[in-house]
Amino acid sequence: MCGVLDLEVLKRELYNAIVEGDVERALAVANRLVDSGVDPHKLVSDVLVPAMRRVGELYESGEYFIADVIACAETFKQVFNNVVKPRLEKSSKKQLAVAVFGSVKGDIHDLGKNLAKVLFEIEGFEVIDLGVDVSSEQFAEAVEKYNARIVGISALMTTTMIEQRRVIEELKKRGLRDRVIVIAGGAPVTEEWVREIGADVCGDDAFKALKRVKELLGVE
Amino acid sequence: MARPVLSLLTLEEARLVHNKALEVLSTIGVKFEDPEVARIMLSAGSVEHNGRVLIPEELVKEALKATPKRIELYNRDGERVATLGETALIFNPGSAAIKILDYGSKIPRSPLMNDLKKLVVVVENLTHIQAQSTALVPEDIPLEIRDAVRLYPILKYSKKPIITGAFTVENLPIMLKMLKVIREDAWKRPFTIFDVCPSPPLSWSTVTSRNLMDLARAHVPAEIISMPGLGSTAPVTVAGALIQHHAEVLSGIVLAQLVSKGAPVIYGGSPLLAQPRYGTPLIVAPEALLVSLGYRDMARLLDLPVHTYMGLSDAKLVDYQAGAESAYSALVAVLGGFDIISGPGMLEFESAFSLEKLVLDNEVCGLLRRLARGFDFTMEEVALDVIRESVLEKSGNYLLHPHTRKMLRKEVHLPRTWDQAPRSRWPGKDIYEEAHLEVERILSEGFTGSTKKTYKP
Repeated sequence: MCGVLDLEVLKRELYNAIVEGDVERALAVANRLVDSGVDPHKLVSDVLVPAMRRVGELYESGEYFIADVIACAETFKQVFNNVVKPRLEKSSKKQLAVAVFGSVKGDIHDLGKNLAKVLFEIEGFEVIDLGVDVSSEQFAEAVEKYNARIVGISALMTTTMIEQRRVIEELKKRGLRDRVIVIAGGAPVTEEWVREIGADVCGDDAFKALKRVKELLGVE
Repeated sequence: MARPVLSLLTLEEARLVHNKALEVLSTIGVKFEDPEVARIMLSAGSVEHNGRVLIPEELVKEALKATPKRIELYNRDGERVATLGETALIFNPGSAAIKILDYGSKIPRSPLMNDLKKLVVVVENLTHIQAQSTALVPEDIPLEIRDAVRLYPILKYSKKPIITGAFTVENLPIMLKMLKVIREDAWKRPFTIFDVCPSPPLSWSTVTSRNLMDLARAHVPAEIISMPGLGSTAPVTVAGALIQHHAEVLSGIVLAQLVSKGAPVIYGGSPLLAQPRYGTPLIVAPEALLVSLGYRDMARLLDLPVHTYMGLSDAKLVDYQAGAESAYSALVAVLGGFDIISGPGMLEFESAFSLEKLVLDNEVCGLLRRLARGFDFTMEEVALDVIRESVLEKSGNYLLHPHTRKMLRKEVHLPRTWDQAPRSRWPGKDIYEEAHLEVERILSEGFTGSTKKTYKP
């Protein structure tokens, strides 16, 4: 067993391992943490997500390159899939709703979308990940196919944000708009933009978006 | 004779690259998307391993033995233009831009057939751009025939040699046929060169491998353009990327020679640095230029004609960056002594074309070709008597000596649009504006080149 202080040290080490993209170390430390009884949900919200946010900051500030970000995202994924996910499934929460996530057409960035996906999954949503470069038709088709209640449309670049509007138009065209909560996600998205295109939730921050979606659904 | 020559690799280093590339081919191998192409390689003695074709050294050796060392290049009318393999320095526009940047605009638009027509006329009138290329992909042409149709305005409005390529398996034979319509011996005495690109790392798509085979059968020159992306589709290190590049080109040479012994191929390339933050392909990054100079020496080792993409820029506008990148990369190409240099006119990672930039690049090409010409040491050029007479009899004023007038035009190259005038004669326009006026002049006056015919768009 570890004491509280030891746990904090281990959490810090996991954070660093993810920021450095060190898969082996991250897996080892993450396993020790959950074996010591740390709630996997807390691990995600306290360590994994903040670490990936730091990676995003390092990229934005020019310190990190694409190759660095890929290594960190891989580390994050490994920890989530191998350490967090198996324990989540054991304590399987009631499924809240189906969410369809994707990065818009022309956008191949998926860091933000992947973070949001993890957060929604640990909160009990089933997330259908459509990947990157997803067309408005593909979004709409997935909503129909999976009977989704939430659509997360991610765009990292100001040049691809315009595509978010197209997805909403496509949903309207097919009579699906009122069935779903639309999250316009991505770092450049603002509340004004969300209003302008007629989305429901501003997803510039995944935690905030999750909280808002749960409010709209009326769940705790 | 004094000529500036830039060489990068020692003989020992070049041999090392060659041997490592042979090792790559025989142990890692090449993937051919088209199983029929793979079969050709296998039936000649290559070995299949996990879906890849391992090419033995012996096969490479035989192919290199069969590959012509020199290619005579003609113009449309059958006049000889250059011998490729002897530092021909033929500049031609960068190829296959999907956008055109209009004068004064900051946002490029999709080009139309009429834009390509204009471009052809401009190129025809630029002295230092000695070959045409199918430089724009016109949006108003049906997708299925977009590659082939690009040849038409060039065949119609230009007599310069053409650098081109196909986007499909089906259209290459059509393009080859188009050439024969122009001149029956257009294959034998070629005025076109077709680009074929392997897909890094170490693979060939169905389209490009089939194109290469069709070209080999017709004995029309194929330019094998490997394009390792440092840090994305190739090692981030120059040496590693160079070895991969060399291996890819060798695999193309083997395929061409297996299809038809003696098929003319040009050792080409378009190495690039995958920008570490954005992933954008930087063709004129110094690391990419080092790979290019490196493979230029590999072509030297094999004594093969050689091609490069330089004289272009990744800037979005015709600005300082555009000029600097185009000029320094063109300088590298000229000093390296490439035969075919594709790039002038091109911006934004080989995607956008500017006619004004092309006019300005033409000036760079002219200045650099002058630089490459070097100088000689004939009595007339050494000019000792001229020094004596000028100093002792003409108070040191060489303007008064007839030698100056006599030799001036031979020795000196002057740019056409660049600003070299004193302020009193300066019209007050910047170089971009001057270039635009030149484009307009060419398009309104039509052809003013070496033939009497008038070509207007």
